[in-house]
Amino acid sequence: MLEKGKISPRQSGELLFTTILATSILIVPAVTTSIAAQDAWLAIMIGTIPGFVLLGILCWLGRKHPAQTLFQYAETILGKWPGKFFGLLYIWLLLQTAATTTRQFSDYLSTAFMPLTPLSVFTLSLIFLSVFAAISGLEIIARMNEFIILLVTSFLVLVTVLSLPNWEPANLLPVLARGIMPVLRASATPAVFMGEVLVAGILRPYTTRPGRTFVAGATALFFAALLLAVGLVSAIAIFGPTLVATFRFPLHMFVRTINIGDILTRFEVIVMVTWVAGVFIKLSVFLYSTSLGLAQILGLRQYRPVVFPLGIMVAVSSFLFFDNIVVISDAIRLVAPRLYGIYYLVLTPLLVIVTVVREKIFGHKFGEKRQ
Amino acid sequence: MTSAFSILRKIIRPNPKKTGSPQKGARKPENDDSPLLEERLALIKNRLGESNDVVIREFSTGSTGVKMAILFIDGLADKQQINDDIIKPLLSTTIVNHYPEKLTEKNAFDLVRNNIAFFSEINTAPNLTQALKMVLSGDTALFIDGEQKVLVFGTRAWEKRPPSEPETEAAVRGPREGFTETMRTNTSLLRRRIKHENLRIETMMVGRRTGTNVNLVYISDIVNKRTLAEVRRRIAAIDTDAVLESGYIEEYIEDYPFSVFPQIEHTERVDKAAAAVIEGRILIMTDNTPFMLIVPTSFFQFIAAAEDYYERPFIATFLRVLRLFVLNIALFLPAFYVAIITFHQEMLPTPLLLSIAASREGIPFPAVAEALVMEGTFEVLREAGVRLPKTVGQAVSIVGGLVIGDAAIRAGLVSPAMVIIVATTAIATFAIPAYNAAISIRLLRFPLIILAGAMGLYGLICGLILILIHLAGLQSFGVPYLSPLVHGSFEDIVKTFTRPPWFLFIRRPRMLGLQQIRRQATNTFARKPEGSTRELTHEDTGQEE
Repeated sequence: MLEKGKISPRQSGELLFTTILATSILIVPAVTTSIAAQDAWLAIMIGTIPGFVLLGILCWLGRKHPAQTLFQYAETILGKWPGKFFGLLYIWLLLQTAATTTRQFSDYLSTAFMPLTPLSVFTLSLIFLSVFAAISGLEIIARMNEFIILLVTSFLVLVTVLSLPNWEPANLLPVLARGIMPVLRASATPAVFMGEVLVAGILRPYTTRPGRTFVAGATALFFAALLLAVGLVSAIAIFGPTLVATFRFPLHMFVRTINIGDILTRFEVIVMVTWVAGVFIKLSVFLYSTSLGLAQILGLRQYRPVVFPLGIMVAVSSFLFFDNIVVISDAIRLVAPRLYGIYYLVLTPLLVIVTVVREKIFGHKFGEKRQ
Repeated sequence: MTSAFSILRKIIRPNPKKTGSPQKGARKPENDDSPLLEERLALIKNRLGESNDVVIREFSTGSTGVKMAILFIDGLADKQQINDDIIKPLLSTTIVNHYPEKLTEKNAFDLVRNNIAFFSEINTAPNLTQALKMVLSGDTALFIDGEQKVLVFGTRAWEKRPPSEPETEAAVRGPREGFTETMRTNTSLLRRRIKHENLRIETMMVGRRTGTNVNLVYISDIVNKRTLAEVRRRIAAIDTDAVLESGYIEEYIEDYPFSVFPQIEHTERVDKAAAAVIEGRILIMTDNTPFMLIVPTSFFQFIAAAEDYYERPFIATFLRVLRLFVLNIALFLPAFYVAIITFHQEMLPTPLLLSIAASREGIPFPAVAEALVMEGTFEVLREAGVRLPKTVGQAVSIVGGLVIGDAAIRAGLVSPAMVIIVATTAIATFAIPAYNAAISIRLLRFPLIILAGAMGLYGLICGLILILIHLAGLQSFGVPYLSPLVHGSFEDIVKTFTRPPWFLFIRRPRMLGLQQIRRQATNTFARKPEGSTRELTHEDTGQEE
């Protein structure tokens, strides 16, 4: 086994929660609101459904291959070489997402807080921290996350409560004024972020009670979607949908409006703390998953040596993939849903179909021999 | 990171099997022995040399004139006892001849042990080497001509300090007794608090030259046996010449010797040690020091004080939360101030910003340099105050704190705001109950200030995450260092950050993996007067008029 440590189902759920929420809380509100206006929160609810389905598929596959990660059972199901190729596709998706995340992270810090600091400072320091965490192992990431999750959720709840005086509930009306279609179209972006639940397929064999993965993951999805919706609703209630759609980071903007007695003000630093801590966990999880997957595909005995090169790859591609802020917005709005769509609709179901075909038609029994 | 540590540990602590073997050329003392008294005394003189505290008293006794000798170290053994209870009965003909058996070389050993000596604690050493070891700890050896075995009388008694109030952990309410330098006193202090048959005190000897006694204290039906075995293994693996304080043991047995954070709690308080033992932890007592080690340790133990458990739960809870807050102040405040002043001025309310800006006007240094210099100065002042005699120490704090501080502000070298920040931080550091945790936090402050000066709040958060990665990776004897916050039950978390009333302490900490988790029954307290709930009147006093 490449990873000897074990995490509890609760910890795996918490990792999923932070992974999903960390970036989506800043990115999703603007994108969904620009399409679905005040019904954006509905879009988030709908966008969560594919996440649940994906989680269900992964857990079903995981039950057939209890000791294997996504990368390993892809080989068992599809055969050695197709399976390895298949695994590489998933690694590529995760790396792509990691690069996007890193770039968003650096962009946000640079535009909102320290405009004179070069992007690479943020990128490299974040990558350094994440590589360090990923090398330390899954248990350590999970333990840190338990700490950080407290920080993130309490901050989010705090800013929401403090922003209540500024709410204009009328901004949320009317509901479904333009029919259901814009909502459905807008749900593509949250669906992308919910698709990051993919990581559950990698964490499952390393949990103490893998049978609980679905419950833990579903709870994580539910709460991530809930907090996301709450953040979105507060932003819309304060600014109204037209304004929110023009912001790049609505959460940041709505937190800026908080002003309690001229003392409790300028809370955006809290957003930054949440953002840095969350993105750090997210990137650590991704780096860990991809290095573990790569080590499994290549048959290495240790995943640690590949962490650093992969981290550098993520850092470099975060610069190379996106020329500027507009490109990255387009990537999230237009490219990511299609890319994730392929994984949702084609690649992951393919594993299920092949499993069913091999079991039903060729009478192959999966899950009998265990590693 | 863990792999890096394991490599370092291998370098620092090589395989104990290799170092445990006897050195080449070392003589085998077991062969240097003889049952004959004269040869034996020569050997003793040879081995102990001409030290003036070694006392040898030769005499012969009984009608057959059995030759004997007594060996003890002056100052470690109780002379009065030796005179009255060993030498006197042996030399008194009434006593020796009182027994029907005649005292001869052959039966002398048994007769002295069973009948003649007026002594409660008599041990037998098989050879000279063993006997010498015990003599050097303060016992008295009786050599009998022609007898290989040696009688050893427990006569240990030396000048010792009585238990006094622990200076490092003072408390307003609670017992005033602290541990002393004498192991026997310490074990008795503990025994007096835990009068249970399952309290075990296990002895190990560490240090080739110092031969220091190290006691493991635990309750055998509560303690986690794997942890206990691990503690034993680690202490047994220590192979050094000297152990003069429990700090030596601490560094040899802790999991990560290269961490800034203390991974083993120490205490001078007897009540705290007793509480730890009852909670299922293991107490490591080292001879010649009042500081006892407690394992396993988690980080949050350092914010608990013994007094929390004696005061009312509400105030204790409040103090605990306050200490947690203070811990953050001690670690982050200067760095946070530097970050705000250097990068995020917009975060301050405008009037406050204006007054700080006004006070900083004309200060020649950037905030980060100012903070580093001030913190450095403060450390110097502290260090100067600690080592000096108390009377002079006050002068240092007055000159250093008041005179220099005031002059520096008047001269425009530092801003008053910075002085306030540094002073607040210093006071916050003192409010952390555990000294060893406070010093590691003092140390971490400096890199955080530099990070904040370089990258603002973002740098500060990066520093926090780095510390967190490190903390999350630490373990103390198999218990995660950040437990119960990570990996702990809800009950343990609540008990760490608050102090519930005593009747709710139903279970011991789950994270320790104990044999008995339950410590008391639920709801077995009698509170209201039985039968009726009316108020007591003078009729209830039972006095007849």
